[in-house]
Amino acid sequence: MNRILGIVLRVGVLLSGGVIAIGTTLFVADHSLDDTSSYLQYNPGFIPHGNFPVSLASIASGLISLDPFSIIALGFLVLLATPIARVALSLFLFAAEKNRMFVYLTATVLAILLFSMLATPLIPLFNG
Amino acid sequence: MIVILFFLTLFLASIAAGALGSIVGIGGGLIVIPILTLFLGVDIHYAIGASIVSIIATSSGAAATYVKDRITNLRIGMFLETGTTTGAIIGAAVAAYLSAVVLEAIFGTILIISLVPLVRKIGEEYPPKQQLQGLAKKLSLRGDYTEPDGRKIEYNATNPGKGLAGMLVAGLISGLLGIGSGTFKVLSMDLAMKLPMKVSTTTSNFMIGVTAAASAGIYFARGDVNPLITAPVALGILIGASIGTHFLVRAKNTAIRKIFALVLAASAIELIIRALGF
Repeated sequence: MNRILGIVLRVGVLLSGGVIAIGTTLFVADHSLDDTSSYLQYNPGFIPHGNFPVSLASIASGLISLDPFSIIALGFLVLLATPIARVALSLFLFAAEKNRMFVYLTATVLAILLFSMLATPLIPLFNG
Repeated sequence: MIVILFFLTLFLASIAAGALGSIVGIGGGLIVIPILTLFLGVDIHYAIGASIVSIIATSSGAAATYVKDRITNLRIGMFLETGTTTGAIIGAAVAAYLSAVVLEAIFGTILIISLVPLVRKIGEEYPPKQQLQGLAKKLSLRGDYTEPDGRKIEYNATNPGKGLAGMLVAGLISGLLGIGSGTFKVLSMDLAMKLPMKVSTTTSNFMIGVTAAASAGIYFARGDVNPLITAPVALGILIGASIGTHFLVRAKNTAIRKIFALVLAASAIELIIRALGF
């Protein structure tokens, strides 16, 4: 089980690194001499602030047209998934050990994690 | 600045940040944020967005090695993570009502004060063997790992309550200030729970990734994770972290504690400078 955990982590890291590298290469190939200032403007009055994809739907549509920023964002999502996969796999690890106390503890962490990932962007209080 | 130069600068700096972060159990924000804001003129919100992704990259990039070598203590990490994630949510919820400047000044001061007990045990290679009792015994918060020369180091955690309280504070700080607070996690495990330094930093490495993942969604949805900034950071950190892990596995605990003390001093100064408004 520890080995499976190691493999999942390694695959997650290589996959996200690879996807981000592909997106970055595609972007640099077209824009290597652009001035960065046009990409770095931050608009505190608007959410989202930048002109890059921030929702799953916009990333998906960007991927179809091979938009570099959407490919990079996909890599971020894979990276983001690795710690979550790690906690989820730990749940099975503790269940296999019949370590009931830690199954509860890990389930609690996973629940808090999923709550804050899925629910908090929808709660105005958290959008500061 | 032109794109290619911007990418290369960030990529190289991030390799260094990833290597350092994976050794001392912190995210790369300490190096990445000032480079972005001070040298490259990037808005602090984008810098923090990149820093959140860099924390996850440091954690996952180093994890594969630390899991294989069984240095990370998953049970201790998971137990403490309940405190960190709870603290992070509370922190994010009340952040709007508190002054970041005051918080930065307070946290920076706490870090400076904690240098004293840390320096006092600077030459300690292994903590004295603790009695496993109370909650630590009930949860079996103990473990062992193998040094490169083949010796098996066994340890027991002590003061799990203090450790958990420390993690609640660490989580609050992450939620409030958008920083990883890996320093505070390592301090709690090193000073309160008396774990070997390698176990403290690698277990912190596990925890910072989970905590950052919990808040990453908010930053992403807001549009704070700018791909132009974050892509070279993530790539550099992933490479740097895998370099750092090779160092940690072979290094002495005393060497890691010395590096950590320097990092702690630097992050305390950085926070206080931020609070003073420079």
